[in-house]
Amino acid sequence: MERIEADMNTALMVDGNAVAGELQRIFGRDMTMAVARCAGCANEAEMGALMAFTRGPGVVLRCPACQAAIARIVETPSAIYLEARGATYLRLAAQS
Amino acid sequence: MQPLIEWQAGTVTEIRPETPQTKSFTLALPKWTAHRPGQHYDVRLTAPDGYQTQRSYSIASAPEQVGELELTVERIPDGEVSPYLHDVLVPGDQLEVRGPIGGYFVWEVGLGGPLLLVAGGSGIVPLMAMLRHRAAQRATLPARLLYSSRVPDGVIYRSELVQLSDRDHALELFFTFTRQAPEGWTGYRRRIDEAMLTEVIRPFEERARVYVCGPTLLVETVANALVRMGLPTELIRTERFGPTGS
Ligand SMILES: Cc1cc2nc3c(=O)[nH]c(=O)nc-3n(C[C@H](O)[C@H](O)[C@H](O)COP(=O)(O)OP(=O)(O)OC[C@H]3O[C@@H](n4cnc5c(N)ncnc54)[C@H](O)[C@@H]3O)c2cc1C
Ligand SMILES: [Zn+2]
Repeated sequence: MERIEADMNTALMVDGNAVAGELQRIFGRDMTMAVARCAGCANEAEMGALMAFTRGPGVVLRCPACQAAIARIVETPSAIYLEARGATYLRLAAQS
Repeated sequence: MQPLIEWQAGTVTEIRPETPQTKSFTLALPKWTAHRPGQHYDVRLTAPDGYQTQRSYSIASAPEQVGELELTVERIPDGEVSPYLHDVLVPGDQLEVRGPIGGYFVWEVGLGGPLLLVAGGSGIVPLMAMLRHRAAQRATLPARLLYSSRVPDGVIYRSELVQLSDRDHALELFFTFTRQAPEGWTGYRRRIDEAMLTEVIRPFEERARVYVCGPTLLVETVANALVRMGLPTELIRTERFGPTGS
């Protein structure tokens, strides 16, 4: 794997599916099947299939193709921050 | 509409040892909802000073087991949450949980097969929910389980797995032992590799839906091998448990 960064220890990595509970709390629906398009390499992947790093402060979700950070979630006692500069878009199936 | 998942206090109704390192916990939930096999619950512990920590645990039971939830947890000696569940929790205690969670690592009979399940250690847990569901639905689609354990008494659900496959010839089990095999063992005795995966998947001719679960490094190895073998990535689902038990 190229581009190993300081917060990336692949032995500790989990799948985006592991933070499904946090995502569901933010969006009010399951997000693991929502598709994220990487702003870096244009790869599309379900959020459940992103690389998730949960051992630092907050959560970092990375592109499985190029390892670029797609989104970061940080929680403070009063707010949740979701930064998603690394995603061109998220595509959610319409809910019936 | 998907219901919002909220924290709720489950009551521990039974604790059963599975292996020297793992126990199964049955919880009765006030707000039980049917899960999809492969989903997990988050478990949250709160210390007297308010400090909170949470971990994910896969659901071991089938959705057909209405009103309750079974989790199977491996004790990580220097861990924060799993030793608490093993050493402190007793039947009658309450445990804060939220779920069911996740839509990515799920399999239901309706998705069809053939099904190839690959587990390392406690990674068998969500796959067991799939097999229990498959049995409860009396499904006959072909399924194969490749399950890696370090030692013979580390095999979780061994007798239930053997019973399930004795009753059902469409379900075949392949065990591999990485540290010590049972006496007289003629099966695999190494880590899962491409040659082993090729043998186990052969009758399915690369059309199988594949679910891989266990310690992160095992899942990495298996997923990379499957891609090299030419399996379509959209049929491969992974669930990494982290450094656990590797
Ligand atoms: C979706 C999902 C489902 C899961 N399902 C199950 C299940 O069904 N059964 C099960 O037993 N487990 C399951 N797990 C794993 C579980 O969530 C916990 O990770 C596990 O129980 C360990 O938690 P702990 O608090 O006991 O240990 P922790 O305190 O989290 O530590 C675990 C181990 O990792 C090491 N570690 C922790 N942080 C670091 C770090 N920063 N650097 C290096 N090493 C570190 C520790 O030393 C220790 O050895 C699942 C995980 C996920 C993501
Ligand atoms: Zn990318």
